[in-house]
Order: sequence, then structure tokens, then C-alpha cells
Amino acid sequence: MARVEYQQSLDALEADLQELGEVALRAVRGAMNALETQDVELCDEVIAFDDEIDRRYHQLEKVVEELLAQQGPVASDLRLILAVLHNAIHLERIGDQSVTIAKLTKVAADLEPGSELVEGLTEMGERAIEMVRIALDSFSARNVERARSLPDLDDLIDRVNRQVAGNVLAMAHAPGTQEWGLRMIVVARCIERIGDNAVDIGEQTAFLVTGEFREFADASH
Amino acid sequence: MARVEMQSELDDLEASFQDAGTIVLRSIRGAVDALRTQDVELCDEVITFDDEIDERFMSIEKQVELVIARQAPVAGDLRLVLALLHSTLHLERVGDQCVTIAKLTKLASHLDTKRAVIESLVDMGERCVEMMRVALAAFGERDAERARGLHALDELVDRANRQVFGDVLGYVNDKDALEWGMRQLTVARCFERIGDNAVDIGEQTVFVVTGEFVEFTDASHDTPTP
Amino acid sequence: MSTELDVPPTNAEGDAAPEIEIDSRRMGELAGASASDVRSREAVFRIEELSVSYGTSLALHGTTLDIHRNAVTAFIGPSGCGKSTFIRCLNRMNDTIPDARVQGQVLYHGRDLYASNVDPVEVRRRIGMVFQKPNPFPKSIYDNIAFGPRMLGMKKDLGERVERVLRHAALWDEVKDRLKENALGLSGGQQQRLCIARAIAVEPDVILMDEPASALDPISTTRIEDLIHELKREYTIAIVTHNMQQAARVADMTAFFSVEVQDDGKARHGILVEYDLTTKIFTNPSDKRTEDYVTGRFG
Repeated sequence: MARVEYQQSLDALEADLQELGEVALRAVRGAMNALETQDVELCDEVIAFDDEIDRRYHQLEKVVEELLAQQGPVASDLRLILAVLHNAIHLERIGDQSVTIAKLTKVAADLEPGSELVEGLTEMGERAIEMVRIALDSFSARNVERARSLPDLDDLIDRVNRQVAGNVLAMAHAPGTQEWGLRMIVVARCIERIGDNAVDIGEQTAFLVTGEFREFADASH
Repeated sequence: MARVEMQSELDDLEASFQDAGTIVLRSIRGAVDALRTQDVELCDEVITFDDEIDERFMSIEKQVELVIARQAPVAGDLRLVLALLHSTLHLERVGDQCVTIAKLTKLASHLDTKRAVIESLVDMGERCVEMMRVALAAFGERDAERARGLHALDELVDRANRQVFGDVLGYVNDKDALEWGMRQLTVARCFERIGDNAVDIGEQTVFVVTGEFVEFTDASHDTPTP
Repeated sequence: MSTELDVPPTNAEGDAAPEIEIDSRRMGELAGASASDVRSREAVFRIEELSVSYGTSLALHGTTLDIHRNAVTAFIGPSGCGKSTFIRCLNRMNDTIPDARVQGQVLYHGRDLYASNVDPVEVRRRIGMVFQKPNPFPKSIYDNIAFGPRMLGMKKDLGERVERVLRHAALWDEVKDRLKENALGLSGGQQQRLCIARAIAVEPDVILMDEPASALDPISTTRIEDLIHELKREYTIAIVTHNMQQAARVADMTAFFSVEVQDDGKARHGILVEYDLTTKIFTNPSDKRTEDYVTGRFG
């Protein structure tokens, strides 16, 4: 492969990643819409759609393996390939989180929803979507500063997550909604995990640019 | 000469991975013990211990990058390196789950516990320890059959998770019990995720052995878990 | 997949090239091969049970494989595996070795390369060769290139031809102001590119390369690899290399040859072990011997 074509394959790899990102975002949006509108059909679509995410993810992994085997990349090329690999993993996880949200929404569909809770979750979802968007954009632009802004957004999600727990407790006296509320605790956690994965993508931007891997935030802090 | 270096670097990388695995096993056991005995101090230990785990993971990632840059592994060697990378990420996830379990145990420690639920959770936790042990051993021995067997073990963990959900549903009319129950739901889910990650490490073992990546399970095809 | 029946180029005078039938049997044979998969392209060479002996000593065991149009095919393997012997059969270079015996069949565009009525000079025009050690003539740069075409009666627009092939070989800018200088004054990398230009000046169909970059520095090696990549658009290229990473980088298809010990426990001959897409050879080869070689466990 000539240098020009080698560079083209790296560019193509990155383009594949961004496409995977778009597809994962679609899944998150779909799951959150389905949650908001209690739309069971949309839930099914999101669940089925995960096959597409997985297909793209495995395809990307294969390309990474081939590039590593045939081109012997080093230095910044290698960092790019490793960063893309990590980000693909995070996006695939985001896809899985979306599926879980959709499944739970479906399971809870014939239960009474608590409207405050839906609002809280919808807000969390919007934050998470925003975070994934920012993470993907800052990776593509190699914008470390912007990537570093992600943990703060993540804090917002955490805050709402705690409110959700409070809300569910408050539902203790309203029969019917409690089971729904308990399911939603898991949904909230899924959204939180999407936010965490977005932060992880941000960390890869910093790794790519600086050559050093540093965590922005940590589960135990 | 280059081959000797390559093999040596691969061996080192794999040893680092197994070491990290041993440490994560300690973490799971710690979280399970803390849960069983409601020991807040042990919770704190698990939480602070996570920093050391994270350092090890970052070191393994660096090693992966260096092996690839220096040795340009191909074919089976490359698969091994990639499998070690993926498996290390799974271990990292498990470490995070342990921290969450410990934090929640701590958070809910002032509330009354329901013995039955604790027992279910401890049972789940012990299954997870077993699964992780099997996953690490199967990888080390390149035992694809044993790795595939993890899927069945995972079913048991998933079932226990659903059981816990059912139990907690029974507490909805008691506010304190509900609060405690909510935390335990998340703990159960953490164990379930630990099980999933052990299965994922199993998938990596099969990848190393066969050269093909096959998912044992898939999020969208699983029976729903709460 | 191209369905165009490709005929070897006519010479510069526009004279019709000697008739060579295109074997189109295998076009479309590969079920499932994608359009971008080189295996779906016409087989320029179909080699069947090709074996080579020097006197009574077997050097290369019966080998069968197809070489596809506009692909780069690499032959790799340890010393003594027969890869150089093999490639030399493709343009009848083994003819020059007195007790070399070639058995089996080499079909070039469907025609038996070793048939008695085939002109070996014409063979070597269409199937050019570049060697490990650059071997420019002790003449000017211009004359190095012009020599072949002149011999073949391709005299029309010679100056244009020289410029075209020097550009094609990524050498023009470096030599355009000193075409009359002796070629031996060029650097190793430049000389090798000159030899490539010389090979393509006579409008070959195939270019064979036997370790083309092993005598060069790393930067020149990269330039040669880039050049190979460009050249495959117009020519079919086969390359012998001891540098596995080079095969991994440049080749579409890779054939791994190894050494086999004969029954007497002493005599050795070369044998084709595995031939597949380069991607397959380097990510998940089918044969353990291939795996051992590409991961460096061999020898």
C-alpha cells in the first residue's frame, strides 16, 4: 500500500467510526423517544437495530486487525488506530445501553408511568445525547479542551440520577407506579452509563493528541 | 532473536493481565464479603483499592501499545494482543462494578437488611467470582470449551437478578425497605454485569483459539433483565 | 469484475501483437468473490504442477497457482524455498541455466509459455524483470531507457517514451536535466527506479521483481513500494521478497513457500504451502507452517 493509500485507510477507518457514532446516537435517541412516548413499536425497532450497530462494530474491529497486521503502524498512526478501537467499544456499549432502556420501557409499558420521573429521565437522556455528540465531534476535531468539558456534563446527569432515586421513593405510596419506578432506576443507570462512555471517548481524544492516557474522572471519586 | 523478544513481551503482557485478573477477583470477593457482613470499612477498602486497579490497567494498555509498535505482531500473536486488550477492558469494567457495589452497600448500611435478598445477592456474587475464575483460567489455558461454558453459568446469574427484582417489588409499600431494596436492585445489576464481562472474556478466549469472534450472547437477543 | 478480454499491448508502430488467446474460463469462477477481490480478475498466469530440477536435484516441488491481472502477488519464504526459482519460470529465465529442467505447465493468457514455437525474447519483453542488484547499462540515462525500444523497432516518439516511463517510475524530476549523464552516477535507489523504467519502456504486460528493494535504504524502499502500488494499475506485478512486512504492505495476494526435507532426510526442495489474500495470510492463515513463518517462529 502506498503512503497515500495508507493515509486513506486511516481516514476511512475514522469515517467508519463516525458512522458508528451516528448509528449509536440514533439508537439512544430512539430509546429516549420510546421512553418518553411509551412507544412499544419504537422499542422493538431500537432492539432490532442493535444488530446493525454490532455489525458495524465487528467490521471496524476487522479493519483494525488488518491494518495492524499489514501496515505495522507506529507512533501517532498507532495511537489513532487504538483510539478508534477504544471508541468503537464505547459506542457499541452505548448501543447496548440503548437496547436495555428500550427493553425496560417495553416491559414497563403496561404499567402506570410517573410523569415527573419521565421528565427527569428525558432530561438525563438529552444530556447524554449531547455528551455523545460532543465526544464524537471533539474526537474528529482533535479538540482536547472540548473533550475535557465532558465530565462537567456528566455531573449534571449524576445529579438528575439522584433525583430519580428520590422520586421513586416518593412513589412508595402510589400503587402501580412503584414497579414502573423500580424499572426506571435501571433505565437511569443506563443513561448514566451512556454518559460515562461519552467521557471515555473524550479521554481517547486526549490520548490521541497528547500521547498520554489520563482519566478525566473515576468511578470511585 | 526478534522472535525471542516478541515471545517474551507477549508473555509479560499476558502475565500482567492475569495479575490484574487476580486483583479484580480480590475486589469481587471483597465486595461480596462487605455485602454479606454489611462491613462499611471493607467497603471503603474496595473503593480505595480501585485506584491501584486503574493504574494497572493503564499500564497494561501502555504495554499493548508498545508491543504493537515494537514487535508488529501478526496472525495469532496479534489476536492474542487484541484479546488481551479487550479482556483487560472487561476487567476494568468489573473493577468499576465492584466499586459501585461497595458504595451502595455503604449507602444502604444504615437501613434494615432483608436477609433473603442479601443471601440472593451473595449467591450471585459468589457465582460471579466463580465465573471470573473460570474465565481467567480458560484464557490462560486457551480452553475454548470451558470458555463457552460460561454462557450457561451466566444464565444462573441472570435468573438470580430477576429473582431479586421480584423480591424488592414486595417491599414497595414500606418506604425504608423500598429505599434499601432500590439500592440492592442496582447491586444485583452490577453482579449481572460482572457475569456478562466474564462471558465476554470467554469470547476473547475463543477468538484467540479459533481466529473468529463469535458472540455467546447479545444484548438485543437476551431475555429482558430488570 | 471486468469482462473485457484484454489483449497484450501492440508495439509502438501499431503492429498487431502476436495472437494470444485469453483464457476466460476462470472469469466468474470464483463464486462470492467481490468486485474488489483480485481473485475475481483474469488469471494472467495459470501455473499447474510446475516443478524445477537442477540435474537430478529437485529444487521446487509441483506448484499450482493463478496470478491475477493488475494485482501485486508476493512470494515469501525462507532461503531455499524455491521462490526465486519459481518466479524465474514465469519469464523463462531458467532457460539460461544448462541443467535446469522445468516440468508442468505455465499458461500465460491461456497459452503455453514453454511451447516450442514461443519466442523467449518476446516472452521477456512482455514479462519484464527487475533484479535485486540494480544493473543499469554503462550508458547515459537516456540510452538506458531508449535501448530496448530501439532494439524492438519502437523508434517513434522515443523522447516522449523516455519521459513517460521516467515519470511513471517517479524518476523524471530527478534526472530530467541530466539525461545525457552516465546512469552509473545515480544513487542505488535511483538506479533501481531506472531499471524499473527500463522494464516498462518496452510496454510489458507483467513485471517480475526479485527482491527489488533489499539492496536499498529504507527511504528508497518506501519509494519503490509506493511505485509498485502505482504500477499495478497498468501492469501485473509479481515480487519475491524476504521481507515479510513488505509483502504485508504491498501485496494483494501472498504465496508462502517453505522448505521440505525429502525422504532421504538430506535433500531439500521448495514447496508451496499456502496462497491466499495477503489479509488472510497475515491475520489468520490456514496452515500452521504459514502462521509459524509470519509470526517469526520459523527457523
